[in-house]
Amino acid sequence: MSEVYVLGGYQTDFARNWTKEKKHFSALMRESVLGALAHCKIDPEEVESAHVGNFAAELYCMQGHLGAFFTEVHPAFSGLPTGRHEAACASGSIAILAASAEIEAGRYDLQAVVGIEQMKTVSAGEGGAYLGTAAWYEEEAEGVEFPFPKLFGRLGDEYDKRYGLKDEYLAEISKINYANAKLNPNAQTRTWYMNKEHALCRTDDNAAVGGRIRIADCSQVTDGAVCTFLASKAFATKYAERQGIQLADIPKIKGWGHNTSRLRFADKVMESREDRYVLPHVRSTITSAMKRAGIADVNGIDGIETHDCFTTSEYMAIDHFGITEPGESWKAVDAGWLEIDGKYPINPSGGLIGAGHPVGATGVRQLLDGYLQVTGQAGDYQIDGAKTIQTLNIGGSGTTSCSFVVGV
Amino acid sequence: MSSNSSPTGASARKILSSRNIERVVVLGANGTMGYGSAALFTQAVPHVTFLARTKAKADEGLAAAISQVRSPTVASRAETGDYDKDLEAAVAKADLVFEALTEDFDIKKAMFDRVEKARRDDSIVATVTSGLSINSLCEGRGDSFRKNFLGLHFFNPPNVITGTELIAGNDTDPAVVDFVDVFSRVRLGREMIRTADTPAFAGNRVGFKVLNEAAQLAETLGPVLVDKLVGPYTGRALTPLATIDLVGWDIHRAIVDNVFELTNDEAHATLELPAYMAKLMDKGVLGDKTGAGFFKRDGKTRLALDVASGGYKPVSEIALPDLGYIDDVAKLYHQGRYEEGIQIFLGADGDEAALARKVIAGYISYAFHRAGEVTETITGIDLIMGAGFNWAPPSVLVDTMGPASAVAMIEEAGLPVPEILSKAAASGEPRRFFDHPAINIGKYFVAG
Repeated sequence: MSEVYVLGGYQTDFARNWTKEKKHFSALMRESVLGALAHCKIDPEEVESAHVGNFAAELYCMQGHLGAFFTEVHPAFSGLPTGRHEAACASGSIAILAASAEIEAGRYDLQAVVGIEQMKTVSAGEGGAYLGTAAWYEEEAEGVEFPFPKLFGRLGDEYDKRYGLKDEYLAEISKINYANAKLNPNAQTRTWYMNKEHALCRTDDNAAVGGRIRIADCSQVTDGAVCTFLASKAFATKYAERQGIQLADIPKIKGWGHNTSRLRFADKVMESREDRYVLPHVRSTITSAMKRAGIADVNGIDGIETHDCFTTSEYMAIDHFGITEPGESWKAVDAGWLEIDGKYPINPSGGLIGAGHPVGATGVRQLLDGYLQVTGQAGDYQIDGAKTIQTLNIGGSGTTSCSFVVGV
Repeated sequence: MSSNSSPTGASARKILSSRNIERVVVLGANGTMGYGSAALFTQAVPHVTFLARTKAKADEGLAAAISQVRSPTVASRAETGDYDKDLEAAVAKADLVFEALTEDFDIKKAMFDRVEKARRDDSIVATVTSGLSINSLCEGRGDSFRKNFLGLHFFNPPNVITGTELIAGNDTDPAVVDFVDVFSRVRLGREMIRTADTPAFAGNRVGFKVLNEAAQLAETLGPVLVDKLVGPYTGRALTPLATIDLVGWDIHRAIVDNVFELTNDEAHATLELPAYMAKLMDKGVLGDKTGAGFFKRDGKTRLALDVASGGYKPVSEIALPDLGYIDDVAKLYHQGRYEEGIQIFLGADGDEAALARKVIAGYISYAFHRAGEVTETITGIDLIMGAGFNWAPPSVLVDTMGPASAVAMIEEAGLPVPEILSKAAASGEPRRFFDHPAINIGKYFVAG
């Protein structure tokens, strides 16, 4: 199998509100792509193809045909093969999978992958309903206010039922993500007021939005785009030479995992009732990525960028990555393992809770953060000496799962 | 002058762990800067003491802080007290003493006399002053006070505006400067900019020059036209005269009078407060806080000041010249085409467009001439204009239009061209003055 190199990229500041700036979706696309070209020192003429990951621009922005918007960014892009990929919150990772498959197949040497979502165009309630289309809308979301917090509240309840779950561990997960976000200059919540007591507070200042899920347990409604470049070995070799770096110092996608479960949360739980893992397909995504990367277990990776759309999803990720035995994620929280200086750092970027969650961009943001970590460019949120980072990106209530191992 | 560079990553974490900030005392905790800053501290510090002249006033400050931040942890981490009974004991326990009294040298000096006697040798003393000299404020005090004293200038309101100026005195320990820099950035979410101890430091020096020039122009053009001409398309979310109304005319006067008196630079005349503002202030016009400034509201109707008469007219009844070029610029910004948009501005015909360019040229020229004086390089001014005023930093404007266009615009306005810009324009080499990959320059170009 031929190799897929990651040449870096560019993330827009997730704290921005593009509606307040009176800007169109195309401006968001443009800034991320032009930023990536400039940052990576790649000429527009070198890009051969583009993949756009996006969840619901038709709803949020009344705009479809998003791949075509790539050609609006630069005259040199006119005529390029482009396309759009959708798998709810995993849309960005699906775009990466498609781009890397084309590189592996030898079709192209340099691909742009753009993950993008503009969400602040509508009210919270309307946006919550749009997000409901990532579930089986008619079965699980129609007529429900904020369906997703409720679905992930049920994930917490399922843990509670099988193994026991104390909310204080969820609050600690929230606290760590917010604290890490303060270190990330592109994180949406970097200036927000947050501390452990606030995450634990049970008043209206931290209102319940779905079962045991409170505001501090939630990821954010975010406008954002991330563009990254994936390259073949031939292009990466040429690129390393002109950048004056070694090919071995350019990170690769070393492994990938991808599974899709049945849509309804109740069906997932029903299928896993005999399993040690609450979401066995998510576990399989993680372990297949590790296996393809030649990594035995979680001790072979230096940090994780996981999908904490809610604190319960990160709680689930902890045991599904194998940091603890199933049902014992609280032990990792208790031991301080998840912090940037800890044994198994999770979400040094702040994750979806702290950095923000522009739905279609998240998978690409995770890969770019992995790239920044393994090349030592993560600034204040750098994990010392990180060489291998694994991502986990989830669409729906654990429905589509994608994972990448990126490393040097 | 200290450099702009702030430690990051592992070295920042090391600096952070070198000290423990367990207790902060905020002096003047009933004022807007006092309670706003105290609220910030409660998110990162377990014990924050709000002090004011009376305990009732300190309690008012705490209540305001709670409603600003909307977290019960503000209350659980705070205590309140008054200067007479509680100051010495609180200061003796404090790791950081934060002074936010009224902007009066003698009042602050008297307070620092008490703080100096009560404080521990290793505690940090910071002042939020926006105009007084850091060196003067600690003049004549003991070594330990001067080593641990610095300016930490949050902008108002601190929970919204992240830009923060850090001003070391001549004797401030560099380790204290580094610590406060990292602590404020990493724990309080501040954008830190190191400035010299010059009048109004960096942000207000440059920012209020532009605001005051807009106020001067309003005398003949009227506020509506001025705010349209120096509006969002020139790189700001809030228009200049609306900004003065928000800040308060009295604050505006205090800042520009201070800078006018203490400096004498090439743009001195633009820092002179317009006489009509002084006259109206005598009649009680202070901006939003008095319900009337350049603008006021009558129900749903927005009214604008008629400078000559002192009366107000509905904005909708004020005739404006054809400013179609502004819509053209906004349309390009809407699609993220900032370079093309700004070229439309540079090429626009008419006296009004020329006046708008003159204000922007003045901003760029003034800022670049202050580099090396108020901050080490232009980057410090760029960062505070971005994070303190939410304006397109001068270098971002130069990069977006290109140095040759910037020079031509400054020459057209008859203003002095900064040497660094004329050199860049003459060389023709592509270069960017703003090289800060973590800051999206697009956010400064607001469409319409």
